[in-house]
Amino acid sequence: MKPRVRLVVIFTCLLLLVACGDRKKLVDLGTEQQIMHISNAAEISGVDPHTTTGMPEYRIQMALFEGLVSKHPQSLEIVPGVADTWQISDDGMTYTFHIRESAKWSNGDKLIANDFVRSWHRALMPALGNEYVESLFVLKNAEKFFKQELESFDDVGVKALDDETLQITLENPTPYFLQLLDHHSMFPVHVDTISKFSAIDERDSTWTRPENFVGNGSFVINEWTPGKVFSVTKNAHYWDAETVKLKEIRFYPIEQLLAEERMFKAGQLHKTEWMPIAKIEKYKSSGATEYVTFPYLGTYFYMFNVTKPPFNDARVRKALAYAIDRESIAKNVTKGQQTPAYTLTPPDVLGYTAKAKMTYDLDKARKLLADAGYPNGEGMPPLELIFNTSEDHLKIAQAVQQMWKKNLNINVTLQNQEWKVFLNNQKLLNYQIARMAWIGDYVDPNTFLEIFITNGGNNRTGWSNKKYDQLIRAASSSKNREERYELFQQAEAILVDEVPFIPIYNYSTNNLLSTDVKGYYMNIMDYHPYKYIHLEPSHK
Amino acid sequence: MLSFVVKRLLQAIPVLLLVITVTFFMVHAAPGGPFDKDRAVPAEVLKKLNAQYHLDDPLWKQYLDYLGNLLQGDLGPSFKYPTHNVNDLLAAGLPATLELSFYAIVFALIVGLAAGIIASLKPNSAQDYISMSSAMIGICMPTFVLGPILLLVFGIWLGWLPVAGWGQIPGDKILPSITLGFAYAAYIARISRGSMIEVMAQDYIRTARAKGLSNTRIILVHALRGGITPVISFLGPAIAGLLAGSFVVESIFQVPGLGRFYVTAAFNRDYTMILGFTIFFAALIILFNLLADIVLVWLNPKMRQELGGGN
Amino acid sequence: MSNNTLSAQLQNLEKGTSLTQDAFARLRKNKMAMTGLFVLLFIIAISLFTPWIAPYSYEEQNLDLGASPPSADHWLGTDVLGRDQLTRIMYGSRISLMVGFIATAVALTIGVLWGAIAGFVGGHVDAVMMRIVDTLYALPFTIFIILLTVIFGSSMLLLFLAIGAVEWLTMARIVRGQVLTIKRQEFVEAALSMGLPPWRIISRHLIPNVIGTVIIYTTLTIPSVILLESFLSFLGLGIQPPASSWGSLISGGVETMEEYPWLLLFPGLVLTVTLFSLNFLGDGLRDALDPRASRD
Repeated sequence: MKPRVRLVVIFTCLLLLVACGDRKKLVDLGTEQQIMHISNAAEISGVDPHTTTGMPEYRIQMALFEGLVSKHPQSLEIVPGVADTWQISDDGMTYTFHIRESAKWSNGDKLIANDFVRSWHRALMPALGNEYVESLFVLKNAEKFFKQELESFDDVGVKALDDETLQITLENPTPYFLQLLDHHSMFPVHVDTISKFSAIDERDSTWTRPENFVGNGSFVINEWTPGKVFSVTKNAHYWDAETVKLKEIRFYPIEQLLAEERMFKAGQLHKTEWMPIAKIEKYKSSGATEYVTFPYLGTYFYMFNVTKPPFNDARVRKALAYAIDRESIAKNVTKGQQTPAYTLTPPDVLGYTAKAKMTYDLDKARKLLADAGYPNGEGMPPLELIFNTSEDHLKIAQAVQQMWKKNLNINVTLQNQEWKVFLNNQKLLNYQIARMAWIGDYVDPNTFLEIFITNGGNNRTGWSNKKYDQLIRAASSSKNREERYELFQQAEAILVDEVPFIPIYNYSTNNLLSTDVKGYYMNIMDYHPYKYIHLEPSHK
Repeated sequence: MLSFVVKRLLQAIPVLLLVITVTFFMVHAAPGGPFDKDRAVPAEVLKKLNAQYHLDDPLWKQYLDYLGNLLQGDLGPSFKYPTHNVNDLLAAGLPATLELSFYAIVFALIVGLAAGIIASLKPNSAQDYISMSSAMIGICMPTFVLGPILLLVFGIWLGWLPVAGWGQIPGDKILPSITLGFAYAAYIARISRGSMIEVMAQDYIRTARAKGLSNTRIILVHALRGGITPVISFLGPAIAGLLAGSFVVESIFQVPGLGRFYVTAAFNRDYTMILGFTIFFAALIILFNLLADIVLVWLNPKMRQELGGGN
Repeated sequence: MSNNTLSAQLQNLEKGTSLTQDAFARLRKNKMAMTGLFVLLFIIAISLFTPWIAPYSYEEQNLDLGASPPSADHWLGTDVLGRDQLTRIMYGSRISLMVGFIATAVALTIGVLWGAIAGFVGGHVDAVMMRIVDTLYALPFTIFIILLTVIFGSSMLLLFLAIGAVEWLTMARIVRGQVLTIKRQEFVEAALSMGLPPWRIISRHLIPNVIGTVIIYTTLTIPSVILLESFLSFLGLGIQPPASSWGSLISGGVETMEEYPWLLLFPGLVLTVTLFSLNFLGDGLRDALDPRASRD
């Protein structure tokens, strides 16, 4: 028996030796060869820019496609993309883009103005089921075409005057239109390639498989193994290929937050995507240079179902809002760079910071509660707060629960729910208080404030205010920035007065980033175009 | 024996049909649909999406259509991953899951039998208590705790092994296989200890000893042959459970297997994915239970009549 | 099996009480089993008296303190919201033990009856019953639980039923296998030829003979049930925060085991101790109840 045991031991040791012979870390190898390893959080549902919606998808689409314009990696100001120059008419309704001569598809075809017309035509085809179709409705008559009130696409506000000139007419002067052009829903696709594999308005087409794919971004698909890796390599036909330093980027679908951090520490990733709260604290206190954090264009909040008592009374909603110590949550619970949020729009969105605030004011809160007929919480019906299951949401919910109990003597039970059950309950207004968050699509207060317009798809509170709707509508047709911001300020004041929701904190991104990564700039959109990134061995 | 196998295979048809039917109506009854997102989808778009996948047909029609396609071997499109269909994704994930399960079983057999035999040699001695206590820890330590601990020790602290991946870096298959196989090794250790103690007391072992055969030879050749039988009958259902239960390990270690897709399919309400994977696992369960019963009959001829008769 | 044992079996049939009495005597002599029993009783006692003896409130937070390692004030440390971990483990034991015992009892009852009947009756009945087990085994559990939460809401009773509903399947399969083997043995055939009614044979012969396996399997089921509870809570079924259970403490502790190892260590330790005690007790019970043991 003993020799056998020894054999097993020797065998195991051999296995371990094979594994841990002098092995270079994936990251170091990658840095040498300009291959970047990135966590992409989840398995992507696809890369077709007109049928996908998520952030993991967008992070890959950014590498594979390019819009008419692009954003500066640091300042987020608009910079040329496929178009090198453009003119805007005085009324802000007509944009004329000049497509750069060197713009090409990854198969070598010349990219022409008509490609955008055909792409947006496709994006607006009703049968495609483009979930982001509404962002194209800024184009004149686009909504009518989508709703089939218009037969021909010719009347939609996008025209190729010649191969290099694209003229766009808008429905309203949309001051953030250039920002929208860098959104994936406005990216061009190679329609001839799509039609090779399926009807162009079919979702489950195979045109985005590595062997079929044609795009116009700085990278093309190299490998796509579901559950394992999505890899892109440099596109030789890209007009600005000179700038692109990375040879390859590998995106790993890592659904487990902890796995990301482990992989980073073991030298298997250049960058992680997100960080659990407990880790943030550790990295922050250790002062590790790999830990990077920056404010992010998003707000975390609790919303009310205002259609049912007791939350049909704004005083009760307000009382709850005033009884939350956001400073304490930001400091002791979320621990990161998250800042306490007092209003919907995060601070400093291209110069806009809301003036109205929901503060922490216990006297006010108690008085409001008493006025509403619940002095010291007496007579309050049973309340429930729902949230989708996650350790971090749970921590925040428990902290808030405790504050309401201590400060207002109100008992709120917590109920975590599975994601789709949770969404369904929100949609059906089958809740009292629910967790919610909003991340801006583009850098403009409108991306936040339009949530709460009456009957808006994302307004799942039942709240409605005519004045508010008017203000938002007025802002979207005003082209003077100051005037618009003033309208938004008024709208925001209504929210603070009516409290259909309680802001908790403004997001921040928290990543681990290898010090080898250069040309990576922090900004509030968490926007990091790969063409500017390169890898350089750093001396640790 | 042949008629027994044929009969059982025929019985599999109603079982599969029942599984499909119940699962089909269960997933459609679950709240939320495949296209529900935190960001609202415009109503017109949702209508078109449902139309594209025939989700607006009456349920009974969808059900019959599904069965029709299934008969042609088509498990349908995935709603969440439109670029791939369910057949593709199943085929893509299968190799990794099979490989992982195979290594896990091999590990479980080697370690489990070794521990079981060592323990059985001197019952109630220190070596018995130590191996059986480790086995008990193995049984009570769930993979979601064991995996991260192994990773922390061997991947981060010692830096011996990669912490994630499958076939990317040499050695990245070791930790997931051990994690998955650990609990099974523990079960095998417990089972084989018991049966080995029983076998070692039998007459023919005593005869072998009297003949002067070496101890190693007696244990590994004569005793193990008898002692391993309960282990084998445990393996049948265990393998099916292993394949289906590998999802935790797959997500901890980034193994591109079936388990992750199966779990996320339920959360995504990806109806066809859930159904396709459920059918696949049901077939596996049926298959491995059948194998286990065949082994049972083979080991215990008395039962042949029983199983061959009514069953 | 010798004639001697056969007659002993038949004798026991007539005076079942002596078998139980013997068993208790044997159990009492088994030191490991008795230690296990006392540890278990101790844990159960603590869980019963928790509301009176817990040092802190299970929900009282101390955000400024946060997660702190074991200290004189907090023997087992505090969690990230500054709550006393000893208290949370004590309260958690109430839920976890209840889930562990009740859900296992549900699984045990259904599983043993189902398996015994299938194995004993055999034929078509067996085929149908076992195919039902196969079917249930294959259904997607997550969807099943989600449906339960939506239809019935979140309640403890549902939690027990849901867990029992899954765990009995394996039990049924194991018992059936055992029954099939035992059924063909001489003393059962003898009892059959004596014209005893089937239910009597099942309760007097089959069940006592499979009880060893059942006990061992039960001691293994309890910890897996305790951990399963945390998954069901994840889906929104079962206990809700700020209440705690061992399962939720452990799965939460795993996430922060590098930063706050005590949050995994102590709940894990308590669960392990419970499991060991259960196992020793289970082994002892099996040895004590095993009819073959009476030969010695």
